[in-house]
Amino acid sequence: MEHLELFFKSIFIDNMVFATFLGMCSYLAVSKKVSTAVGLGAAVIFVLAITVPLNWLLDQYVLQPGALSWMGADYADYDLSFLSFIMFIATIATMVQLVEIVVEKFSPSLYNSLGIFLPLIAVNCAILGGSLFMQSREIATLGLATTYGIGSGIGWFLAILAIAAIREKIRYSNVPPALRGLGITFIITGLMAIGFMSFGGMLTGGDEDTAEEKTVEVQVTPTENTELANNTKIEE
Amino acid sequence: MGLLSKKDAALIKDPLADNNPITIQVLGICSALAITAELEASIVMSISVLFVLGVGNVVISLMRNIIPSKIRIIVQLIVVATLVIIVDLVLKAFAYELSKTLSVFVGLIITNCIIMGRFEAFALGNGPWRSFLDGIGNALGYAVILIIVGFFRELLGSGTLLGIPVLGDPIEKTGLYGFGYENNGFMLLSPMALIVVGIIIWVQRSRNKDLIED
Amino acid sequence: MEKRTDKNSYTIVFAIIMVLVVGALLAYLASSLKPMISENQRLEKQQNILYAMGVNENEGTSANFVSTVDAPKLFEDKVSEQLVLEVSGGKITSQKTRQEYMDSNNGQEPYLIDIKKQKSNAKNGEPRKLPLFVGKNEEGKTVYVAPIYGKGLWDAIWGYVAVDENMVVQGAYFDHKGETPGLGANIKQRYFMDDFYGEHLLSESGVFKGITVAKGNADPVNNDKTDNEVDAIAGATITGDGVSAMIKSDLKLYKPYFDNLKKQAN
Repeated sequence: MEHLELFFKSIFIDNMVFATFLGMCSYLAVSKKVSTAVGLGAAVIFVLAITVPLNWLLDQYVLQPGALSWMGADYADYDLSFLSFIMFIATIATMVQLVEIVVEKFSPSLYNSLGIFLPLIAVNCAILGGSLFMQSREIATLGLATTYGIGSGIGWFLAILAIAAIREKIRYSNVPPALRGLGITFIITGLMAIGFMSFGGMLTGGDEDTAEEKTVEVQVTPTENTELANNTKIEE
Repeated sequence: MGLLSKKDAALIKDPLADNNPITIQVLGICSALAITAELEASIVMSISVLFVLGVGNVVISLMRNIIPSKIRIIVQLIVVATLVIIVDLVLKAFAYELSKTLSVFVGLIITNCIIMGRFEAFALGNGPWRSFLDGIGNALGYAVILIIVGFFRELLGSGTLLGIPVLGDPIEKTGLYGFGYENNGFMLLSPMALIVVGIIIWVQRSRNKDLIED
Repeated sequence: MEKRTDKNSYTIVFAIIMVLVVGALLAYLASSLKPMISENQRLEKQQNILYAMGVNENEGTSANFVSTVDAPKLFEDKVSEQLVLEVSGGKITSQKTRQEYMDSNNGQEPYLIDIKKQKSNAKNGEPRKLPLFVGKNEEGKTVYVAPIYGKGLWDAIWGYVAVDENMVVQGAYFDHKGETPGLGANIKQRYFMDDFYGEHLLSESGVFKGITVAKGNADPVNNDKTDNEVDAIAGATITGDGVSAMIKSDLKLYKPYFDNLKKQAN
């Protein structure tokens, strides 16, 4: 259930393109044709699904304050979080490179269709954004991190697929000459983003209900330790 | 010959209009959308990018012959990230107030593709001085768009400029608000930034027909 | 023709050297600047707590802290006690004064307790330490300042809320790590923080309700202080929800303490 919620949340509500405006540059630059858009979109899903869980492990066991405690009590106080950016970037870059080498070796046909997009991906801020969101939103388990990576990737895929389809069709419309190409794409993306904002209320409504229930619990709080409050010194 | 040769001067001038990084090269869009709800933030971001792009372009240009081509993008990313993190750490230690204002922009600068784009397109193939000029020129071109978008979004969205009310007080109903004018809260949302940039592109291309795509 | 820089071996060696150089450089800088940075952060925490208590240098519409030079002295004067509560299952299991806490924690000051860490400890079922700063505000009223911590749209948000013994807000300070400038970042603007002044955290029947940052409520100038709502910032829904959520989840934990206070008074 938790997985399903996070999955849909990362596709629709927190859509990389329409809600957080990440990965805009390749989204605008590579969306002229549906076929290339599908290729890039698939590559993004793939890379996000690998790098988010990897960076999760890195964050949990190396970077977080106290994350090194598995190495022994001496290391418990280390805080390497200032290295997050660099380490995440390095992981992403290395993974993209590795994937490229492996795919080239074992499946030349897949490499031909996917390979040219891989270098583009490393500069796609949606990929780094995915890892940084994973860190700042404190996703709890490796499984959830994977779900989050796949979900965000699918969200980005859907967005670029939709805009590419619209751009293919819009060629038959009578757009003012100066607005053709990039101009109209910006405006359409703006309208699509407004459309996606309507997903915003989908899960928050549920959250409030559970919060309401929790506050009721507080009402029955037993207070036995009355004498403890005596320690307060401000009364004097 | 003045301080700059004609070719060098073009490096600064072109990105301001005909080869603008945002409206023509499609670079640095994410940040242009995220931070332009306020004019002040647009200006701070522009100055930061000016600094990072100028210095970063020179560094990459100096390293251009030793960077392995396969991982050049990563090397570029790491150079930017390191530069930005160093500046952030130093500011945190010596100018804490300033660092608090800028900390929001750290992540946005590192992931700003205008920086990566110029490294890739220019600094990797040119000497340090020309790369520096190119960096400054593109950062200024980026700044122009950011400031225009920030100006309109803040004016129409909150009725203020740089935080100072210019259209009267919306609660007391003075100034323009006395005639029934209302702030358009929609302007503050990011989708409207996309639409404002779209309109800027429209205006620019109507004035210069050469830029029209078919 | 393959250039020397195209070889896989060169690439890997270059990458390793690069990572080592950059890592070492950053690690060196981070560790050598750490004392200065944590001193700055310590002073900022004092300024934040004082701000929430109403000890600040606000002018016009801008929020100003007391200067870093004055902060330590004022902090000592105004904050008369720093309590550390441990709460589990809605009960206070232990309560330490500043001295008691420092004696058992190598002299660490209670206001330096890392709220984020305490929150994640609590998730793992460990007891959670809750600092509470007690002092008198400018009007001579006793106020209790509690830290809160949560998530906004992009990254962490946190703050300090000062309440009186009836859990009516006497001042609030919010800050954020990376909210959108002009939108979510406005939670640290004075007009937003001032809205919390006088708001009730409890409902009329004394149940903890928190304060909701509400969109489109019928009370934009915030005249109704008992509706448990303040007006939201346009365009910053998720950050606003984050503020509501952290007030609800974190301040709720202090409710037993105030229940005890009341029992004593009766």
